[in-house]
Amino acid sequence: MDYRERWELKEYQNEQRLGSRATLLHAVIVIVLAGFLGVFWYLQIVKGDEFALLAENNRLRRIALPPTRGVVFDRRGEVLASTRPALNLVLVRDGLTDAEGQLKRLESLLGIPYDGLKGRLKAMRGRPTFEPLVIREDVQLADIAKVEARREWFPSVEVEQTALRDYPDGPAVAHALGYVGEVNEAQLAKIADGSLQQGDIVGKTGIEREYDDVLRGRRGWKLQTVNSLGRPFGSSQPGREPEDGRPLHLTIDKRLQRKLVESLADEVGSGIFMNPNTGEVLALASTPGYDPNVFTAPVSRTTWTALISDSRHPLNDRAISSFYAPGSTFKVLMSIVGLETGAITPQTTVFCPGSVLIYNRRFMCWKQGGHGTVDVHKALVHSCNVFYYLLGKKVGIDAISKYAEMFGLGELSGIDIPGESRGIPPSAAWKQRLQKEPWYPGDTISVSIGQGLLAVTPLQMVTMISAVANGGTLVRPHLARDAKSEATKLRVSAASLALIRDALADVVEEGTATRARLGPILVAGKTGTAQVFKRSVGVDADKQPKGERDHAWFIGYAPAENPEIAFAIVIEHGGHGGTTAAPVARKVLEVFFEDRLPRKDADPLLQANLSADAETSSAATPTPR
Amino acid sequence: MLRRRLLDRLDVPTIAAAFALAAVGMTAIASATAEQSARAGLWKAQLAWLGIAALAAVVVIAVDYHIWAEFSLSLHGVAVALLIAVLLFGKEVGGNRSWLAVGPATFQPSELAKWTTCLAIATFLAKRVHDRLRFVQALQLGAIIGVPMLLIAKQPDFGTALTFVPIALAAVLLGGLRWRVVALAMCVVAILAPFGWRHLKDYQKERILTVVDPGRDPSGIGYQVRQSKIAVGSGQLTGKGLFKGTQTRLNFLPAQHTDFVLAVIAEELGFIGAAGVLAMFYYLLYRGLLAARSSQDKLGTYLSLLVVSWLAGQAAINIGMVLGLMPTIGVPLPFVSYGGTALISVMCGVGLIANVRGRRFVN
Repeated sequence: MDYRERWELKEYQNEQRLGSRATLLHAVIVIVLAGFLGVFWYLQIVKGDEFALLAENNRLRRIALPPTRGVVFDRRGEVLASTRPALNLVLVRDGLTDAEGQLKRLESLLGIPYDGLKGRLKAMRGRPTFEPLVIREDVQLADIAKVEARREWFPSVEVEQTALRDYPDGPAVAHALGYVGEVNEAQLAKIADGSLQQGDIVGKTGIEREYDDVLRGRRGWKLQTVNSLGRPFGSSQPGREPEDGRPLHLTIDKRLQRKLVESLADEVGSGIFMNPNTGEVLALASTPGYDPNVFTAPVSRTTWTALISDSRHPLNDRAISSFYAPGSTFKVLMSIVGLETGAITPQTTVFCPGSVLIYNRRFMCWKQGGHGTVDVHKALVHSCNVFYYLLGKKVGIDAISKYAEMFGLGELSGIDIPGESRGIPPSAAWKQRLQKEPWYPGDTISVSIGQGLLAVTPLQMVTMISAVANGGTLVRPHLARDAKSEATKLRVSAASLALIRDALADVVEEGTATRARLGPILVAGKTGTAQVFKRSVGVDADKQPKGERDHAWFIGYAPAENPEIAFAIVIEHGGHGGTTAAPVARKVLEVFFEDRLPRKDADPLLQANLSADAETSSAATPTPR
Repeated sequence: MLRRRLLDRLDVPTIAAAFALAAVGMTAIASATAEQSARAGLWKAQLAWLGIAALAAVVVIAVDYHIWAEFSLSLHGVAVALLIAVLLFGKEVGGNRSWLAVGPATFQPSELAKWTTCLAIATFLAKRVHDRLRFVQALQLGAIIGVPMLLIAKQPDFGTALTFVPIALAAVLLGGLRWRVVALAMCVVAILAPFGWRHLKDYQKERILTVVDPGRDPSGIGYQVRQSKIAVGSGQLTGKGLFKGTQTRLNFLPAQHTDFVLAVIAEELGFIGAAGVLAMFYYLLYRGLLAARSSQDKLGTYLSLLVVSWLAGQAAINIGMVLGLMPTIGVPLPFVSYGGTALISVMCGVGLIANVRGRRFVN
C-alpha cells in the first residue's frame, strides 16, 4: 500500500468510527426520550387519578360563610338585639406601597395612632397578603367621606363591609341579654362537633350565651378556587348556604326594663320583676351596667380594663349572682314556718317590750319601747323583731332550713341565663361546711330576722314571694318566651298563705313600705335591711355614710288580691328598704299598671295626694328594720 | 441567484420542527401567565424574540459553516469576553449575575457561549489529523469548554453551566478519547467530588438531596418538585384542556412559564401533549443526526452532532427536572421556555444544522 492508499484507508476507518459514534449518540437520545415517555406514562396514566385528587385539594378551599345571628325581641315584639351592617376601614396589604405615608396621613386625618397601626401591620407579616389590616372597625360615614375625598393619598385604604351585633338599648338590657364575642379556646374545646371554629361569634353571657345554639345559626361554606397564595380567584362553587340564627322572643318588657334601670339610676343594686304565676321575667336589671355594644367589636384593652377594674363590678349580674342577708324580708318565710309547723296560730300573741333576753343575750327590736302585744299579722306589718326571735327559738334551725329549701332559698332557681348563685342556705350543715363550727342555738335567733349565717339572691327572693303570691307554687323564672315552664306545688296550706298575703298588703298600706303605694292598685310587699356592719344595730341607717349603710330590700307583688307581677329589689348600701327600694318598685309598677292607673296629667289633685301620702307616712313612721 | 439557491437548499423540515416547538411554547406561556397581570402578554414578547431569533438563524444559515469555522475561535473569544463583562458589569436577577444590559434589552452571554462552544469544538476536532485525542488536545478541548463553563458557574448559574456537560461529553465521545484518559478523568472527578460538595451552597445541596428523597421538605425546595409532579400527573391522558390547567395557572407551580413550561403542557394537554413534545424533539434531533451523516465533511458532522448533543442534553436536564428526576436547577427547555437570548441561541444552533444539511452536496 502506498501512502495515499493508507491515508484513504485511515480516512475510511475514521469515518466508520465517527458514524458509529453518531449511532451511539442516536441510541442514547432514543433511550433517554423513551425513558421520559415512560415516566410521563407513570405519572399521568398510572398515578393520574392520585395526582388529579391532589390537584383538586391544592386549588379548592373552603371559605366559611358566617350566618346572621338571630334577632332577640321583647315580649311586645320590640327589638332588643339584632345584627346590623357595619363598615370597616382596612389597609389592603397586597401591592402595598408607601405604607408609612398612608398610615401617617391617616393619623393626621382621623387621629388613629400611627405607632399602633404600624405594630399591627408588622404583626401581620407572614399572613397571606390578601388579608387586609383592619384600621378601624365600625367607622363613621363622616370619616369614610374624609378618606374618600382624599382618595389619592390613600391608594391602599378601602372600606369593607361586615356585620356587628347591635343592642339598640345599650346598657338598659345589658345583663339579661349578655353580649357576644369571638369564640375562645375553652369554648372550642368544649364543643368538639365542629360546629364552631376559630373566629366564630358566640354568646358570652346572658341570653346570648344560654340560647347561643338557637341564635347562632349554622355556618355555611363555599368552595373557592384559590391560587398558591390562597387568594380567591375566579368564581366559587356553592357548598352549603349558611343557616341564619332563629329569632328569640323574650318575656322581658322593654318599657319596664327601661324604667327599672332608670329608677335604679346611680345606685348599686338590682331588681327583678316577674309574673308570679308563670315565672316569666318581665324585667331584670343590675346597676351599674355596661354597654354591651362595646363588646361586639374586639374590645379595646382600655375598655376592658376599665370594666374589670371598676370596684362596683359592672359586669356582674347582681340580680342573679350577688347574695345578701335577706333582713326582714325573711320574716315572710318565718311566718310560714311558724304557721305550718303549728308553733304559732293566727291568734298567738307576743309582748314586745323593745328587746328580749335569749340565751343570756339581749336581742333588740328596731323600735325603741317595743310594739306592745303583737300577733303574726301585726308582727309582719310592723316588722317586729321580738316576735320572730321567739318564733325562731321555738321552731329551731332545722324547720327554718326545711322551709327555706322548699321555697328555693339556697337553691338554684334554674333561670335560663348563666351565672346564678346559690347563696347561703340557713342550715346547720352549711355552717359546718363553711365555718367548721357546729350550729349554736343563738345562731337561730339572728337567722329568724334574716341576719347572720344566710344569704339570698334577689332572684331567689322574687321566686319565694311569687310562691306566696300565687298560692303556693314554686315557678321556674325564665326569660325566653318558649322556655319550658316548671312549677312545683308546695305542701303549704292556703290559709297560712292567705293570712300572710293579707299582712303584706297592709305593709304597704300602713306599715314600712308606704312609699310603694300605687293609688287604686293594691301593692303587697315586705321591706328589709341587710346589716353590713354589726354596729349598725340601733343606729339610724339613713344617717350613716353611704358606704357603711345597710343594704335595702323590697320584695312584693301587685295587685295584692290577684297578683300579676312580683318583684325583688336590692339597693346596696341603700339604707332602709322602705326609703330607697320601695320607690323603685313603685315607679316600675306605675308603668306596668299604666292602663289601670288614673293618668297623672289628667288628675293633678290625685297626683299631689299620692306623693304627699308617701311623704307624710314615711316621716311619721320611725325607721323600721 | 444566490438567494434562490439558498432557498432551494433550505432544510425546511428541521426549521419547521423548531418553529413548531416554539409555537407550542408560546401557547403554554400564554396559558401560564394569563392570570398574572404582571406577566400577561408575555407570549407576545416571546413572539417578538422569535422574530429576532429567526433573523439570527437566517444569518447563520446564509453564511457557509466553513466560514463560521474560520472565525470560531474569535467568536468564542468574544463570548468569553462577554462572560467576563457580565461578571464585572452584569445585572443581577434573582441572585444570579448573568444578564448584560444592552440599551433597553438584556441578554445572557451564557446562551451565546453555548453556540460558540459547539462551533469552536467542532472546528477543533475537524482540524486535527489523528482520530484519537492526545493529552494536549484533551487539555485544549477542556479549555474551550471549561473557561466559559467556569465563568458561568461563577455568576453563579449552575444550571447553565451544567448544560455544558452534555456538550463536553459529546466532544469526548466524538473526539475519541482513549479509555485510560477517560478512566483517569473519572478518578479525578471522584476524588474532587466531595470537595465540590462542600463548595456547594446549602440550597444547592438541598436541591440535590430532594431528588434522592422528594419528601424531605414539601413546602421548601421539594415543594417545586412536588407541585410539578402534581401538575404533570393531574393532566392524565388528555389533559385539562388548553388554558384550563389549574396548578400552573393558579401559580401553585413557580416558574411555570420558564423552566417548568413543560409541566403546563403536560397538565393542559395530558400525556398526549407531553408525548407530542417529546416526539417533536426527537424529530428535530433526528434531523440533526441526518445532517451529520449526510455532511460533505467532518466539520459538518461534528458541528451537527455537537448541536444535537447540546439541545438533547439541555432538554434532558429540563425534562428530568420537571419530572423530579433531576435537581431543580434553572435550565430552560430549548425552544419552548420563555426567554429571548435562549431562543435566539437555540435557533442559531438549528441554523447550524440547517447550514450543514443545506450544503451537503459539494459545490
